[in-house]
Amino acid sequence: MEKIIEVSDLSYRYSDEHPFVLKDINFTVNKGEWLSIVGHNGSGKSTLAKCLNGLILPQKGTVKVGGYTTSDEEAIWEVRRLVGMVFQNPDNQFVGATVQDDVAFGMENHGVSREVMKERLSEALRLVKMDDFAKSEPYRLSGGQKQRVAIAGIVALQPLIIIMDEATSMLDPEGRKEIIQTVRALNKKHHLTVISITHDLEEAIHSDRLLVMNEGKMIREGKPRDLFKSTDLLRKVGLDLPFTVKMRNELRAKGVPLSDTALFQEELVDELWTLHSSK
Amino acid sequence: MDITFEQVTHVYGRKTPFEKRALNNVSIHIPSGSFTSIIGHTGSGKSTLVQHINGILKPSAGRITVGDFVIRANEKKQNLKALREKVGFVFQYPEHQLFEETIIKDVCFGPMNFGVSEAEATKRAEECLQLVGLPSQLWHRSPFDLSGGQMRRVAIAGVLAVRPQVIILDEPTAGLDPMGREEILSLFKDLHERLNLTIVMVTHNMSDAANYSDQVIVMDGGKPLMAGAPERIFSQVDQLRKVGLDIPETMEFLNRLLDRVGKKETIPAFTINEAADAVIKILGGVKDHV
Repeated sequence: MEKIIEVSDLSYRYSDEHPFVLKDINFTVNKGEWLSIVGHNGSGKSTLAKCLNGLILPQKGTVKVGGYTTSDEEAIWEVRRLVGMVFQNPDNQFVGATVQDDVAFGMENHGVSREVMKERLSEALRLVKMDDFAKSEPYRLSGGQKQRVAIAGIVALQPLIIIMDEATSMLDPEGRKEIIQTVRALNKKHHLTVISITHDLEEAIHSDRLLVMNEGKMIREGKPRDLFKSTDLLRKVGLDLPFTVKMRNELRAKGVPLSDTALFQEELVDELWTLHSSK
Repeated sequence: MDITFEQVTHVYGRKTPFEKRALNNVSIHIPSGSFTSIIGHTGSGKSTLVQHINGILKPSAGRITVGDFVIRANEKKQNLKALREKVGFVFQYPEHQLFEETIIKDVCFGPMNFGVSEAEATKRAEECLQLVGLPSQLWHRSPFDLSGGQMRRVAIAGVLAVRPQVIILDEPTAGLDPMGREEILSLFKDLHERLNLTIVMVTHNMSDAANYSDQVIVMDGGKPLMAGAPERIFSQVDQLRKVGLDIPETMEFLNRLLDRVGKKETIPAFTINEAADAVIKILGGVKDHV
């Protein structure tokens, strides 16, 4: 599989007096995958995200994106074109007076011609299902809609990778669902590589792979289904468990002979149903 | 302090093209010493409702009674300062309101604003910082050196230091990680039980509303749709769905299972433990018929 991001021996601290907030991190991201980086507040996951598009540069080690090294001054703009980032607060990211102005802003900055801009604008808005709102003003939008506009602004720049830095944590449950659906479509249908920084494990179980951060270190890596087999470690680093895993563990503890693989509610219902019908 | 709304209406931007009726003839009762959750879709009027309790917003029509205080529409002179001393308000993202040089000074600001002496305010600040679990070696540092979750606890200590009898929480756990969420909610549960504080919490999280409150008020389109014990409210699955609300995930799961085994009933179970017991009962109960 083609590696689109390669992080080697990455360490970072905000200043010499501060301790390292990232310590010897090594991982790669495959092209087209949906990767979640999970950890509690303060585990270093947002700092890591900022290393991935060169917003901050490591003191030790290297970050390579699409073959470019982030610490290479000549390449930094190429890196940022390849990696789009959606941040936490929907209200801090809206710069345009209308939805279409906002999406066009990034393209203007990148010197995209007017004809191409028009085309990409309508395409990007269609992708995030905001085409009916092209002329709307931001204050008329919900948080989820604003985040979708932020995603459209990034999609219009045709990046290879989109990083969601806690992009759903300030949204209501409905807004959260909208964003997860949008991201899934971008990932599955349009083959965009997605890196989601989150502490919402209900969201993370949908991704292809998980990285677990704690105190600036990467402590585990794996597929959601494998990772949630050993739940003690996740608890110990202050992460909650997805609902289905909690339910499954509780039922097992009460003597119901279930497997340790169910991640989604439907799967657990299926398993319970099978168990019950074979009695 | 009992809180009563009588036919309260609130209109934003009256006589402008943006006129919006955010509360429409609302009558509700929140008993003294209760833990009440207000749930509802975004734009249903939840925040507008609670902002009337300490007079941040005034009613366009109707009357609000909070203990001995009465707020009526079209009434100018009201002793809101005394009311606000009794009713503390923890806004969304309260950590954005920290401003002082040190944590302890920040917590003192509230009580001193209400005329408490510096010595007394400091004493209260220390008490409240202990209560929210912030280690004392941090107290003389800048609040801006803290993590998000710690900053939020400092902001909450600032509200507690005024010694209110009612605390209003507007989405107190938004943006916190699961551990931080549990800590903040257990803190308020504890305060509620030990100090008999009346708590009014606006939340989007149905499990939190179910697990922590003894009364749930459902808002829809500026009106209370229903009010009652969580067991009763969350049994009205269809009604809740109609106004865009979910049920706690424990119940959602039980509904799926009940659906699969072909049973039509609703089981109010809010904790994982209760839900697991219900699952075993559902499976066992069905077995007897086979």
